[in-house]
Amino acid sequence: MKIKLIVLIIFSFIYTEAISQKYITKTGKIEIFSQTPLFTIDGVNKKVASILNAANGDIVASTLVRSFRFEEALVEEHFNENYLEPNKFPKSIFKGKIVNFSDVDINKNGTYDITIAGKLTIHGVTHDISEPGKLIVKDGNITGTTSFNVSLQDYKVKIEKAYKKAIKDAILLKIHFNYKLYKKS
Amino acid sequence: MKMKKIYKYILIIVVLGAIIGGGTVYYVFNKPHRNIKDETPAYTYTAKDLYKEYSEDEEAGNMKFGDKVIQVTGKIVEITNENNDISFVLNDEMESVNCALDSMFIKNNKPLIENYDLGGDITLKGKCDGFDMIMGVVLTQCFIVK
Repeated sequence: MKIKLIVLIIFSFIYTEAISQKYITKTGKIEIFSQTPLFTIDGVNKKVASILNAANGDIVASTLVRSFRFEEALVEEHFNENYLEPNKFPKSIFKGKIVNFSDVDINKNGTYDITIAGKLTIHGVTHDISEPGKLIVKDGNITGTTSFNVSLQDYKVKIEKAYKKAIKDAILLKIHFNYKLYKKS
Repeated sequence: MKMKKIYKYILIIVVLGAIIGGGTVYYVFNKPHRNIKDETPAYTYTAKDLYKEYSEDEEAGNMKFGDKVIQVTGKIVEITNENNDISFVLNDEMESVNCALDSMFIKNNKPLIENYDLGGDITLKGKCDGFDMIMGVVLTQCFIVK
C-alpha cells in the first residue's frame, strides 16, 4: 500500500514535470516562395501553432491553409481554389521530433544545429521528411527555424498545363517559431 | 481614298482591341483583395457557441463556416502580439476562438485596440479559416466591431 502511494507520488511529479516542459506558440510563421522569370509566388501565414516538448524533443505543428496571404489577390485565389483546395484539405500538419535533441541544452543560452524528422501532411498527402534547422535558446525562450523545399508533385498539387513553365515544382518554405514556456493557468 | 478608310477602321479596331484586352489583363492581375470589412457576416455567434458547434463536428463546421465571414463575441483570455501582428484569443484557453486582426486595421487603430484588455468582452468580424487542434477556431483579417 505504501509502495503504491510512493509510486503514485513519484509519477505525479514526473507528470507535472512533463507539463511544465512544454513550449508553445500560436503565432508561428511560414513563408512560401517560388520564382521564375514569369511568375513570383510570395505568401505568408502568421497563424501557425506548434508545441515543442522539451522533455523529449517531440514537435507538432499545424496551420490552416486559408491563413496564407499573398501580395496579389489572383495568386491567393489560385492557391486556395486550384492548388491547395482547403475545402477538401483545410490543414497542414507536421508531427515529428528533433532527432539530435540530446545535443540541446534548453537551460543554456545558445544556438544549436538540429535535425527535424517526421511526417508532413500537405494537401492530404503525408511524406516523411528530415530537414536541418536551428534552435536558439535565449533567456528561457526558444526560437526554432528551418527552411526547405517541398515538391508540388510529391504532395499531388496539380498545376495547369498553361502554368507549368511559370511555376517551379520546388517551393521554398521558411518556418519560424517563437516558443514560450506553456503555463497552465 | 477607299483603301485609306479601311486602314483607318482597322487601326481603330486594333487600338480598341488593345485597350479592352490590356484593361482585362490589368484588371485580372491587379484584382483587389476580398474586402472582409464591408462584407455582411454570414453568421453571428458567441465564441463559446462557435467553438462548441465547430468542435462537435469539424467536417460539418468546415462546410458551414469555412471561408465565411463570421461575427463573434466573447471574453478575451489571451492577447498575442508578435511584431505588431495582434490576435485576440476568446472564450477559453483550451476551447478558444483565435482572431487575428487585419494588418491595415492594426496600423490605423492602435489606440482603439489598446482599449481592449484580458477579461473584457469584444466583438470581432473576420474570415473563418477553419479549426486547429491548438488554436481552436481561427479567424483572420478581423475587424473590431465593438
